[in-house]
Amino acid sequence: MSILEIRNLHAGVEDTEILKGVDLTLRSGEIHALMGPNGSGKSTLGYVIAGHPHYDVYEGDILLDGESILDMEADERTKAGIFLAFQYPVAVPGVSVANFLRTAVSNVRGYTDQENGSQRSGVIGSNLMPMRDFRRELNAKMKEFNVDPSFARRYLNDGFSGGEKKRTEVLQMAMLEPKFAILDESDSGLDIDALRVVSDGINKLATEDRGFLLVTHYQRILNYVTPDYVSIFYGGRIVQTGGPEVAAMLEEKGYGWVESEFEVVEVVEA
Amino acid sequence: MEYAIGLSEEGVRALSAARNEPEWMLEFRLEAWRIFEAMPWPKPTDEAWRRTRLTGFKLEDYQLNNAAPTEGDRTGVSKLLGQELDEMESAASLIFQDGGLLYRDSSEDLAGKGVIFTDLQSAVTEHGELLRRYFMTQAVKPDHNKFTALHAAMWDTGAFVYVPRNTKVDLPLQIILNQATEGAAGYHHTLVVTEEGAEVTVVDDLLGGKDGMQSAVVELCQGENSILRYMNLQDFDHSTWNFLTGRAAMQRNADLRWIQVSWGSKVTKAFLDIDLLGEGGHAELLGIYFPTGRQHIDHQTLQLHRAPRCFSDLLFNGALKDKARNVYMGIIKVFPGAQQTDAFQRNGNLILDGTARADSIPGLEIEADDVRCTHAATAAQVEDEYVFYLMARGLSRPQAERMIVQGFFQAVLDRVPVESVVEKLERVIERKIGG
Repeated sequence: MSILEIRNLHAGVEDTEILKGVDLTLRSGEIHALMGPNGSGKSTLGYVIAGHPHYDVYEGDILLDGESILDMEADERTKAGIFLAFQYPVAVPGVSVANFLRTAVSNVRGYTDQENGSQRSGVIGSNLMPMRDFRRELNAKMKEFNVDPSFARRYLNDGFSGGEKKRTEVLQMAMLEPKFAILDESDSGLDIDALRVVSDGINKLATEDRGFLLVTHYQRILNYVTPDYVSIFYGGRIVQTGGPEVAAMLEEKGYGWVESEFEVVEVVEA
Repeated sequence: MEYAIGLSEEGVRALSAARNEPEWMLEFRLEAWRIFEAMPWPKPTDEAWRRTRLTGFKLEDYQLNNAAPTEGDRTGVSKLLGQELDEMESAASLIFQDGGLLYRDSSEDLAGKGVIFTDLQSAVTEHGELLRRYFMTQAVKPDHNKFTALHAAMWDTGAFVYVPRNTKVDLPLQIILNQATEGAAGYHHTLVVTEEGAEVTVVDDLLGGKDGMQSAVVELCQGENSILRYMNLQDFDHSTWNFLTGRAAMQRNADLRWIQVSWGSKVTKAFLDIDLLGEGGHAELLGIYFPTGRQHIDHQTLQLHRAPRCFSDLLFNGALKDKARNVYMGIIKVFPGAQQTDAFQRNGNLILDGTARADSIPGLEIEADDVRCTHAATAAQVEDEYVFYLMARGLSRPQAERMIVQGFFQAVLDRVPVESVVEKLERVIERKIGG
């Protein structure tokens, strides 16, 4: 049982504050949907949790099982059990899905650190998960998540359709077995195929020892995934938290209601 | 065999005499020497030399190799060269060291097929008539530029590959040159002749050259419907001045894939031309480079479409580190009447340090109206978004950067036809990223 706590988090880019005091607690086994209008800063929350270097944290903390992760680089956070599924994963030409994933899985599972305590550079194939074991597991998971076997050799996200990218993100999540997964699905333009891939992935991977933070704009994905909690994100913070009924209410009343209900009052310090 | 060779007509005569060359080769060298003397040295105002200066280069500083080895068995091959030899499964190999042939081996009965694969020095006497027809007469002539004239007068090592009509050599032919003596001059020559319907793969592997100079010529003479895969793997010491002129002269429906690798040298100036002489030719010229420190690499290419319905695809991709500099200049030239030309030219640079610099000057000269020609040049850095994405999957920053840089070279590596060469190139890329 793990716990991810976000406490009074203030963060932004240079002097522009985007997150203005976020409080959120996520436990293993929970699915927490975070809904908000465009521009509310909900995607930023995912990036800040994952450790994107462009964002600065001004105040507050993020704790994984009681330990602050703020001083960790993005890769250390991933090794600690945080996974961010990207809304728009970048294409990395020339890097095959299999090659990349083998390195990622080896790092996250600690193969890299076993021998010398650090990665020996210049030696290909050392400190990696044995190829046979890796292949076997990758093939099994590709089958389970309906990823065509040819994707192992394809270059990461290079020329992938929206649905194929989502499928690959879910596959990576399945291979890396995080404690907490943050899925950024805030874009309104996701097609039904991509939506199904993501929701099927969550449903298969939603086990007792894993928590999900599902960032979204529309209620649509919640037709496929049943959240335990729904929070409304507005003006850089969470303004209301409840059960699935909150999503239904949002769908009915729209974000205009949120804006009038939770109008941000700018506090000007004298 | 020891001889002192001066940079003079006397020197040329002495060189030819020391090699017991027939009269025609002596005359050839002397004529080339006269051309060399008559041609001016490149000036910084010459378009080809505007970005690559010869400042600090003095030809007189480099002695022609006077320590030519005696051909012998494997015991004379150093550990380093032995590794180069063993890492590739080849039909036959030639190892040159300094001014001569050190070692040869063969795993196939090439002579039985009529294939010639030998050192140029032997070819001058053993295959004089054939050699005379192709040696610097069709692809690269002595008056091509100052360095080719010098080369024609002074050439020392080199291989002659001749594949007769409708003959196929399955495994690669491997040529290794190690310029072992420090501060020396080398003039390495590669002459490949593929007759109609022939097929062969040739790998040139160039090493050594500490504090030295190399002025090489590559000639690829392709008959109709012949298929050639040629790899030039230049990994000289970072103190070498390296000059290269290469040209493929391609007859009707000839098919070429030329991989040009420029890892080493202090300064490289390479002129690389594809000359499509007959209809329906298919040429690929693919280059990679990765200058580090203060290395300066310059490739200048020509895609000459003289005949209709030819295809040429050029792709040069390189990464740059430290204070390295890269220059790429290329022209696709379509002659009148070369209709339905299909030509591409792309140069991509990945700048790993703000102190490195890449200049890319693509160009088109089109004198036919029914053609498709495209060119593109890009210069990019390793984007933070890419690094973050990979780090969010558990890769460390150095691992992420290494993977992105390796991926950048993959577009060319995917098209390198010999697996052991791919592995070797991957190792160098890994080493260059790390070091």
